Amino acid sequence: MELLSGWWDDFFWGSVVVAQVFLASLVLMVIFGLIGAAAKLSGNRIVQKIANGYTVVFRGTPEILVILLLYFGSAITLTWISRLFNPDIKFVDVPPFWAGTVAIALIVGSYATETFRGAFLGVRPGSIEAAKALGMSGLQVFFYIRIPEMWRLALPPFGNHMLSLIKDTALISIIGLNETLFVAKQAIGTTGKPFTMYIVVGLIYLGFSTVITLTVMALERYGNHTVRAR
Amino acid sequence: MISPQPLIRMQNVGKHFGTFQALKGINLDVIKGERIVVCGPSGSGKSTMIRCINRLEKHDEGRILIGDTELTDQIKDLNAVRREIGMVFQSFNLFPHMTILNNLMLAQKLVRKTPKAKARDIAMRYLERVKIPEQADKYPVQLSGGQQQRVAIARALCMKPEVMLFDEPTSALDPEMINEVLEVMVDLAREGMTMICVTHEMGFARSVADRVIFMDAGEIVEEADPETFFKTPQHERTKLFLSQILSH
Amino acid sequence: MSFDLSLIVETVPKMLAGVGLTFQLLGLSAFLGLILAIVLLLMRISGKWYLDWPAQLYIYVFRGTPILVQIFIIYYGFPQLEFIRESVLWPIFRDPFGCAVVALSLNTGAYVSEILRGGVLGVDRGVLEAGEALGLSTTQRFIYLTTPIATRLALPAYGNDIISLLKSTALASTITLMDMTGIARTIVAQTYAPYEIFISLAIIYMILTFFLQKFISLIEAYLGRYTKRES
Repeated sequence: MELLSGWWDDFFWGSVVVAQVFLASLVLMVIFGLIGAAAKLSGNRIVQKIANGYTVVFRGTPEILVILLLYFGSAITLTWISRLFNPDIKFVDVPPFWAGTVAIALIVGSYATETFRGAFLGVRPGSIEAAKALGMSGLQVFFYIRIPEMWRLALPPFGNHMLSLIKDTALISIIGLNETLFVAKQAIGTTGKPFTMYIVVGLIYLGFSTVITLTVMALERYGNHTVRAR
Repeated sequence: MISPQPLIRMQNVGKHFGTFQALKGINLDVIKGERIVVCGPSGSGKSTMIRCINRLEKHDEGRILIGDTELTDQIKDLNAVRREIGMVFQSFNLFPHMTILNNLMLAQKLVRKTPKAKARDIAMRYLERVKIPEQADKYPVQLSGGQQQRVAIARALCMKPEVMLFDEPTSALDPEMINEVLEVMVDLAREGMTMICVTHEMGFARSVADRVIFMDAGEIVEEADPETFFKTPQHERTKLFLSQILSH
Repeated sequence: MSFDLSLIVETVPKMLAGVGLTFQLLGLSAFLGLILAIVLLLMRISGKWYLDWPAQLYIYVFRGTPILVQIFIIYYGFPQLEFIRESVLWPIFRDPFGCAVVALSLNTGAYVSEILRGGVLGVDRGVLEAGEALGLSTTQRFIYLTTPIATRLALPAYGNDIISLLKSTALASTITLMDMTGIARTIVAQTYAPYEIFISLAIIYMILTFFLQKFISLIEAYLGRYTKRES
């Protein structure tokens, strides 16, 4: 414990960064996932092809490669664009926070695409037909029947996507984001205790995972309260 | 007439699921060659009763004896008892990943230790008896429900059991397939197999049963030979049940 | 900004030189991970709390933490511990390849055991009861009924996990290993051409994923032959 004295606040701020990346990427992941699912469900062939390409690429490429590509690639692209306006600029740095956040949101978003698509298709057509037969409007059917039913179907895999996101934040330390793994590296530099420091990081992540798991469990219990009859 | 020792003896058997009492005070003796039909409304405990006989459910009151062996937690070789009791389920429960022939051979090889070639002969003989030898190399999913149930009966017969238990064998079948399964069961009854059948097929009960048992709320309410049972039922609950089941 | 095709032609063979290492990592970890997963599964379904609880804890910890952290704990962290440096396993933990295989196996084992458990729980209870009624022992039912049916049920999810494992092998590059990703990172550091190199490499990984997927669906089709109505 005394080993860690002087590093507590660093680990705390590292955890804050983890939480920030998680929340930002969560929002983006949902957006990417919904766009992807809408595209796959759309009648348009070209749009479907693009969405398929998106899921194939991001599910078939190692996460670390996506992060490296987005980080170094966007730096090069931005530098090139800036030079068009001001030839004196040597290099434009992309904040690892955003490169990393977008990268992991794109990756997990490709999985979420399938989840949302599956949930949309998984709604029993009988429920929809019954609601229409009762005279409910399209919007009413959507909000009272489809959304609650989709929510119930999508929640368990969605919980797994959130766990993937939180764990993928660790990868962003590779491009220099000052999250917990990065803090540990610095701490090891001065203390020479790699095992202790990395175990601390592991425990922090385990804490995050636990909170997410418990939240999802609570939401599932709420979402299933209508179908738990027996 | 000498009264032989019963093959199955249930004495004051009770069974609870949590606080729900599924069986209470069941007394039933079954002698060799006897054919018994058990009927009653759903939830009356008839399935639970026959599932207790091969200990797929454990009773928690009273005693159950199979021959000389009592079914208890201390029983040394439950599987030795089970192989003498054939069972046919409502939902067939064939092994989906094995061909029909292998469905019939598996337990022979593993439990009876029958050599493979002999197990195959026995299997084919029983497939012929249920009139589907040509399906031997197919998988269960490729057969109709009636055919699957006949395979399930053949599978149980391959073990040369002393008793056959039937748990609503025709309830999951389309109407046009019920007869092909009942025919096999009638043949079996004529050959003298000891049988306990949970079924609502009252025609079957009339033609082959030695005794009909009516259960309700976990108890045996009435038992009689089919003639008496259908013509002059004693209890109100039996009359009500019969009127519901025979009215259409 | 330009896209240098000649650079791709030049560097792809260099990266492909690392495919052997990638496959070694994948094959060894998949094999060891599967053995671990089976042990964990048996512990979980044993019905004995002193076997079930440790397995649950293990799965919880390894699924709840990033694989990168697990790799770092083993590669950078273990040398801090004297009893590991003095153990017979030290040659494994001194070697980055050994560490990567251990970390990947431990990680995938936790996921796969849950996949296998899903398969076991998916086996129709009626089928097992039929086996019970025929007098098959618990062990016989597990070997002849549960195992083949559960294998078929678990295979699609298992295939996805193998693909995840393939992607995770790229993390070996963070502990100095020169797998395809390690080589690519070195080349990018020298040429500073991330687009050409990383996109080429991504395509290589996608091709590998594609073939893995094909291979898995072949096995799926074979194991699922008895689910088709037409023969």
